[in-house]
Parts: sequence; C-alpha cells; structure tokens
Amino acid sequence: MLRSFCALIVGRLVGLVARWLGRGATSLPGYVALKIDPLLMGHLAAGYEKIILVTGTNGKTTTTNLLASILRAAGIRVVHNSEGANMPAGVATALLGQQGEVAVLEVDEGTLGLVTSQVPAGTVIVTNLLRDQLDRYHELEQLAAAINRALAALPAATLILNADDSLVTSLGQGREGVRYFGLARTPWSQATTSEVLEGHICPRCHRPLQFNFYHYSHLGDYFCPRCAYQRPRPDYEVVDVELNTGGARFNVLYPGGQVAFKTPMPGIYNVYNILAAASAALDLKVNPATIAGVVAAFLPGQGRAETFRLQDKQVTLMLVKNPTGLSVALQTLVAGREQASYLLAINDLAADGRDVSWLWDADLSPLLQAPYQRIICAGLRAGDMAICLKYQGVRMAALEVIPGQEESLDSLLTAPGDDCLILCTYTNLALYRRLLKERGATSEVTPLPSLS
Amino acid sequence: MKLRLCHLYPELLNLYGDRGNVLILRRRAEWRGIAVEVTRLSLGDKLDPGVYDLYFLGGGPDQEQGVASSDLFQKGPWLKEAVEGGAALLAICGGYQLLGEYYRASNGETLPGVGLWAAYTEAGIKRLKGNIAIQVEELGLERPVIGFENHGGRTFLQGARPLGQVIYGDGNNGTDGTEGARYKSAIGTYLHGPLLSKNPHLADYLLELALRRRYGEVELAPLDDSLEIAVNEGVFRRFLPTKGKW
Ligand SMILES: [Zn+2]
Repeated sequence: MLRSFCALIVGRLVGLVARWLGRGATSLPGYVALKIDPLLMGHLAAGYEKIILVTGTNGKTTTTNLLASILRAAGIRVVHNSEGANMPAGVATALLGQQGEVAVLEVDEGTLGLVTSQVPAGTVIVTNLLRDQLDRYHELEQLAAAINRALAALPAATLILNADDSLVTSLGQGREGVRYFGLARTPWSQATTSEVLEGHICPRCHRPLQFNFYHYSHLGDYFCPRCAYQRPRPDYEVVDVELNTGGARFNVLYPGGQVAFKTPMPGIYNVYNILAAASAALDLKVNPATIAGVVAAFLPGQGRAETFRLQDKQVTLMLVKNPTGLSVALQTLVAGREQASYLLAINDLAADGRDVSWLWDADLSPLLQAPYQRIICAGLRAGDMAICLKYQGVRMAALEVIPGQEESLDSLLTAPGDDCLILCTYTNLALYRRLLKERGATSEVTPLPSLS
Repeated sequence: MKLRLCHLYPELLNLYGDRGNVLILRRRAEWRGIAVEVTRLSLGDKLDPGVYDLYFLGGGPDQEQGVASSDLFQKGPWLKEAVEGGAALLAICGGYQLLGEYYRASNGETLPGVGLWAAYTEAGIKRLKGNIAIQVEELGLERPVIGFENHGGRTFLQGARPLGQVIYGDGNNGTDGTEGARYKSAIGTYLHGPLLSKNPHLADYLLELALRRRYGEVELAPLDDSLEIAVNEGVFRRFLPTKGKW
C-alpha cells in the first residue's frame, strides 16, 4: 500500500507540475506513477463506483468524450481521458484524477489486456474492428482474439458491441450480459462493396460470410450460409437516418421506446459513435431526452474535421488514417458539394504507418465523380497518391504533385473557387493547421471545452 | 488483341492494396488498345487452364489464407498446367508462399503447397517489414523494382530461380539476398500491395509474358510513365542506406 501511496502522490505532483507548466496533464503523471507502482491502476480503480471502458479501432475518442458529457449532464461526476491518451499511462493519469463516481476510459485496443487484468470494469464498449495501421496490428482476427482474452478477465462485465461488425460480435459468443447496437438499412446501404473487406469470415465455422447489405467497410447485415451465425438483433438500433452537410438526423429504437437525435457531426461513422455512447447511457438508465440534448450540442474535438475561414475561402481540414477513414471522409465531404479543390497530403512516418499501400484499398470514386477543380497531392508520399488517382481515372490536367506542404497549400489557396478541402495523414495535420493559422485563417469549429 | 486475366480469390486474398495490380495491368493494356477481360475465380470455381493469359494471386490474413489454401490445393494441377502451357502469373506474399512446395508453421506442422516453384517457407518470429528494392536482371540494370514487404514467413529457394537480388530490405528470408521466385512466365514475390504502381517496367514485362502465349513476341507501345518513374527514383533514393550493401 505504501508503494501505491507513493505512486499516487508522485503522480499527482507530476500532474500539478505539468499543468503549471501549461502543458496539460496527458500521460506523464500516469507514466511516472506506473514506474513506481505497476499495479497502481487496480488500486486507483477501487475508488470508483463504476468503470466503463471504450475500445475498438475507430471512433473511441468521440465515443468516450460524448459518453462522459452525457453522464455529466445526467448529474454524475465523471473522470475520463479526454485527450485520447489511451495507453496504460494515459488510463492511469485519468484515474489519478480521483474525483468521480464513474470513470469512462478510452483504452487502446492493442493493450486492453494490461488494463482489464487490473481494472474491474463493469461495462466494455467495442466500437468496431476496422483495418487500421496494419504495421502495428497486422491482422484483425489476431486483434479480436487478443481482445477476447482481455475480456475473459471480466466475466461479469456488460459488453456493448457493434452488431454490424462480425469480428466484434464474435466477442459476445458464450457470454451473458451482452447488448448490441446497430444500424438498420439506410438509403446508402449497398448490396456489394467496392472496398476491400476484412472480417468477412464466419467467427464460428470460418467460411466466408454473405451480406444482405453493407453500410461501409465490412459493417453491415451478414449471415453464414453454413452454420447460421448471423448479425444479432440490435437492442439499440438506428433507423430513419438522414445525412446532410450540416450533420445528421435519426431515431434510436431501444427496449421500451424510441428517441429522435439531431447532430452537427457529419458522416455515418459519427452516427455509429453517437449510437455506441447512447447505448451505454441508455443501458445505465440515463433519461433519453438528456442524451439527445447533449448529442445535439456536441462537436468533435480538434483535428477530426475542422473548418477555417481565410479571406474569401472556406478550408476544411480532416485527418485520414486508413482506407475506411479515407473512403468515408470522401463520401461525407464530397456529397452535394459544388466546384471545389482538394489537397491530399500523405506521409509515411511512424505515426502515419510506414506502408502506404492502403491508399489502393480506399474507395476514391466519390472524389473522382465530383466536380473537382484541382486535386493536389502532397507529403512524403505525394507521388504514390497521384499514381493511385491516375490509374483510377483522374482528369490528369487537374492533378498536381507538390510534395512540399507549404508550397502545396499556397497552390491550393490560389486555385479558383472558394471551397478548399485538405485530407491528410496524422503527421501532416498539425503542420497544415499551423500553416493555415500563419496565413491568418480562423477556425470556425468551437473546440471542445476542457473537461478535465 | 485481347488479354484474359484471371484474379484468384479476390475477396479472400486482398491485403494491402493488392487489387491495385489488376487495375494497373488492365489500364496499361487498354491504353495500348488491348482489350482486357477480368475473370474472378474463387472457392469451388473450376479453373480452365487453357483460357487465361495471366493469373493474379494476392495475400490475405491468416484465416482467409487458410480458407483459400485448401481450395488452391484443389486448383493446383490446373494452375500448373496453365503455367506449363505458357500462361503468365503474378503471386504476392501469401499467394507466393502457397505456390511453393510447403509451409512449415511454428508448431512444426507442415502444410503442402501447390509446388509450382521449388521453394519452401518456414514461419519466422519477427516480421520482415519495410521498404525494399531489388534488381531484376530481365528488366535491365538501370531501374530497380521497389516496394514494401511485410511477412512473417521465410522462403528458401530449392533450385527455383529468384525474381531478383536484394539491394536493400530483407527479401525471401533476410539472409541469402534473394527475392521472390520464377518458374517459366510465373513470378512470385514478397513486394506486396500495389507493387506494379511504382514499377511500370515490371508491369509491362508481365503484359509481354502474358501476350506471348497467344500472339508471340509483342512490342508494347511506350506510355507516358514520367510520374511512375519519378516516384520509383524518389522512393529508391530516399530509403537507400548511406552505408552497407550495394
Ligand atoms: Zn459459420
């Protein structure tokens, strides 16, 4: 106990110093405290009435932030790792806050076992298992197996699982207390998919699954023709989705009722994020009207989709980190847009993923069919992006390859028209934001208030 | 002129943008006025060895690869007959391994392969991963073939001809300096993903091999490859070690 007491005091001191230095307490306090007491997470967890873990490959940060906001609006004192610091040090840092009844913790899908072996979570949300950074987790089935082992440490936990992802539903096999969330068929659901698929093997008998429809990537309504494994019936289901450039509207059916949602966040993937957070909140008996109220006002944090104004131009900046992200970003941003110019900035540093082969797995057709004025390829892998566009039939006269970030932005800003979009990989994001600010751009999205 | 391309297990063996290669072969043929017909064959489909000029086989995650391998073992004799008859073939990563003699897993279990090339693969511990450049003799000495590799298996040639010699990267096994395998007009390689995108010379070589079966020696009209060549040279130089083997 003395050891963990020391760890706790030192961790909090580091947190104070870090905040005093104006750096924000991200993972450093937890990192230092875990060095002193590797079992600290377990000791700290005992101080909470309920712990909710959020894991999966995509949408963790938005789901975690949204769920924490909903619970706060319901009058619960909540601690969460708001900066997306989801490795054990970040989780320990959040728990060091020790000022809540409930902890909502985003946990990296690859290190979930380190957390579940110590933290007796009562609820685990799994958003999805989409292809992401294959450099790191080279195969999704192995990842699903690792998550399954991690969940075995929590036999009594309630699992809140994405019904539309066969890899995620495989985690619910043989368990009690599983709730499913999913999307009913939408006007955009397709009978086939032009994206490369993963997670389309039956988790029970390992034969290929068949699909009634796809939402995107391998998410959809699937069934196994051999052993009858199928998409479970969702306990929480989104119906009547309407997407528009200003966000989305939809209804959520839950046991005993339905509630209407309106959100300023665009894109079908945000509908999933909202549904995941709302399912957990409904399961905790939070008033549906409270949930809808928080969702209506909730905006994404910096870097997910940010809009800037620069003289007469509107510039939208968005992070893309994998083929699904790029496909969905193009689908969301390009739909209904008139003449616009695009900048695709692709790097291959460690945080981006060293291998850029994934560009060829994305569905670029929404962009190629749009009335684009100019498409500029930038970054260390500008040429790879350009070749990919060339073979998919881009109008070559509209294509430019300008690897330098600064030069590429200047070219984008001199393109005709006033609508500019920048899609970039991780290490380009802060750079383009800085370059935009240097040129006098003002951000039009209100950043999330600090929740710590 | 018409090229008949057979894409094997497109829904199972499709990691890392492999399918880009089929698109690149199709476009480079069509830009020269050669019609292309792509047939997708998968589990349980019959393969008629006389029909196709060019086969493509990608890599997949473990489970998908396992499902494909048992079926490929059935199709193996047809595929061998096709290659003996002059058909060209490109197999990447998992597809490359499955066409060898066998694969030995880390638990010692041995899975038989098709045996198109005299080579076998063993499971390794650390994945061999990173940018790679190789020298392919048939393509002349001035331009390397470049790509990215990411494989756990180590392949050892047992008399099969390698595709090329490693300039930098790991290649077949990280030790003997060879990369890939050749048998007649068939090519296997660990350079995964959209390999042909940065190697238009390799793409055209494959097209020539494929057309030879039906049309004899064909000289392909030149295309504007300035973009592809610039990327090939840029990426090659960027990852070229300043010291070490060259
Ligand atoms: Zn089944």
